[in-house]
Amino acid sequence: MRAIKSWWLLVAFLSGFTLAMMAEELVLNWRNDHLEFSAPRVHFLRGQPLELLHNAAPVPFNFQVTIWSGTHNHVFEQLHDRFVVSYDLWEERFKVVKTQSPRRVAEHLTADKAEAWCWEQMSLASDTTGLGGSEPFWTAFEIRAEDGKGGPLFGRSITDSGISLTSLIELFSRPPGAQQSHWGPYEAGPYTLDELKKSPHRGL
Amino acid sequence: MKTPWVSSGNRARSALAGLVAILMTLATPLAGCGLPDDDERAARELDVNSRYTVESVQVSGERNVTISDPLRLELDKVVGAKFDHSALERLADRLRNELRVSDVKVNVTRGTEPDHVIVNFEVKSREQKFDLNVAKFLYDSKEGWSGDGNATTHLKGNLITFGLVSDGDSLVERFAGIRAKFERKKVGTDRLGFRFEFDSYHDMWNQATLEQAQPGDIYRSRQVFTPEATLVIVEPLEWSFGVSFARLRVPYSSSDTEGGGAAAAKTESSNAVVNTLRYHQRWGSAHDPQEQEVTAVYSAEAATDLLGTDRVFTRHLADARYRFRHDRNSVEVRFMAGLLNGAAPIYERFVLGDSTTLRGWNRFDLDPLGGSHVIYGSVDYRYRMFQIFYDTGAIWDRVQDREQKQSVGVGFRKDLTEKESFQLAVAFPMRAGHVDPIMYAGMSF
Repeated sequence: MRAIKSWWLLVAFLSGFTLAMMAEELVLNWRNDHLEFSAPRVHFLRGQPLELLHNAAPVPFNFQVTIWSGTHNHVFEQLHDRFVVSYDLWEERFKVVKTQSPRRVAEHLTADKAEAWCWEQMSLASDTTGLGGSEPFWTAFEIRAEDGKGGPLFGRSITDSGISLTSLIELFSRPPGAQQSHWGPYEAGPYTLDELKKSPHRGL
Repeated sequence: MKTPWVSSGNRARSALAGLVAILMTLATPLAGCGLPDDDERAARELDVNSRYTVESVQVSGERNVTISDPLRLELDKVVGAKFDHSALERLADRLRNELRVSDVKVNVTRGTEPDHVIVNFEVKSREQKFDLNVAKFLYDSKEGWSGDGNATTHLKGNLITFGLVSDGDSLVERFAGIRAKFERKKVGTDRLGFRFEFDSYHDMWNQATLEQAQPGDIYRSRQVFTPEATLVIVEPLEWSFGVSFARLRVPYSSSDTEGGGAAAAKTESSNAVVNTLRYHQRWGSAHDPQEQEVTAVYSAEAATDLLGTDRVFTRHLADARYRFRHDRNSVEVRFMAGLLNGAAPIYERFVLGDSTTLRGWNRFDLDPLGGSHVIYGSVDYRYRMFQIFYDTGAIWDRVQDREQKQSVGVGFRKDLTEKESFQLAVAFPMRAGHVDPIMYAGMSF
């Protein structure tokens, strides 16, 4: 009896470990007629960017989400935005400014909440009008922090050029810098809207 | 960790810093690198810490830090102001350039009072132990190539340099050989340093020089050993003093003595006490819209019998430069005057018509042996990389030979670092009859 229990415990652990390893970086939900993005396993407020933030340096993060439909060659939608994150030395909380129109600000956030808020803003920008319910689509995302020596923190004001949509698109057309923190691109699919509407939590 | 310099709200500012502030205000009405109001507002919105006030500013590091008065003033201005991370990074960049260190990191912590922060510029010393540099690399359309390369090792505050030189530009002779130098910039105190330099050169001569030289003037080679100490009298005025021991191999014909016709050489000495006063001051930096710089050097050498020298002489040289830059325009004015008495070796004689003085003239046309009197002035104007210049001067031994010469030139000059630049220029001597321009191309001259 004891031997069987141990065996099942081992299987359960290995299954859980395997499932965890297979878990997706980007989780898609369908909520309020919108695609809702989240990435609970991707933490960009860590490592070098967090070190800079704790040293009172504001750090811009550039987001890019791409959706392909029909065939993998057709870009259905591409979303870009820049979030400037700063860390309040006295309150020990984060402030995030979404710099693309519509400009939005969130303050007094923990690190997890700040990350989630950025994904929420990306979700709000998404528009699936024109995408058929049964039409297959793929998605990918990439995040880049401007924390390298060539970034806007060092010598230039964070309000300098580089905030426009055109420059964001151009930025993602180049590979990230050697000292630049970046996450992705993570890519998965194909999935359909009908499938997502039936299953409220679907990872890609 | 040392904290060699701290600025806080109640720190008394030095009288000199105040004087410089007044001068800067008067002389540089457009100085300052503040952000426009819109940018300031935007930065404030983006950075949650911009609502806090800077309580104090420190500069710390593993070595003693000496900051110029203009930069110290800029650091002082940060105290009491609202926190602006971009501005602090710009100041860190200026510190990095001025102190010539590998990195300056901005560290920010909570202040002792609520809603205040403390800024610390952490200076990280250059970890580079070995340095290769080209002090001179020049092509002159009349004299050909000149090069001066050095390898320097940094060992616990000591600098050991080994260099290779082939220079057909700066003296009457073309000299080629080696240079070895040991230097310690601080001996017990920041105000005292010393160095030993040994040079060994072979010399080659232009035909015009050989034709005019007296027997005994021409030497095949020379070795010079110079121990020298430098004392900082009052920042930024320095006094260097030492002795130069030179050995010259002077060829002579043995036909006068015995056997007849065989070439031989004898050794002569030229030992001199060397004194140099040096002043260098700078207001503003390359990051400011306006910048001024003054460099003045006076040197005096005296070779007397007391030093057991074969050549007895005295030599005085004054050389001053003033540079003014506003945005992309800059003007540099230079004045030089020299006087030589006695029987100095040719390498001590003055030269005009090289790549830095009376550009465009061939120095062998002016005085193939070099002169014992010199006076020279120049004005350079630069807009971005474009450069035009006017040189004038005279070199002579006898008053009746004194004749003013002039030249003009155009070219391109790109500053690579504070001390290194690349230049391509064509200079025209102003004389009746014919135009015979000289072209220069090279680095660091």
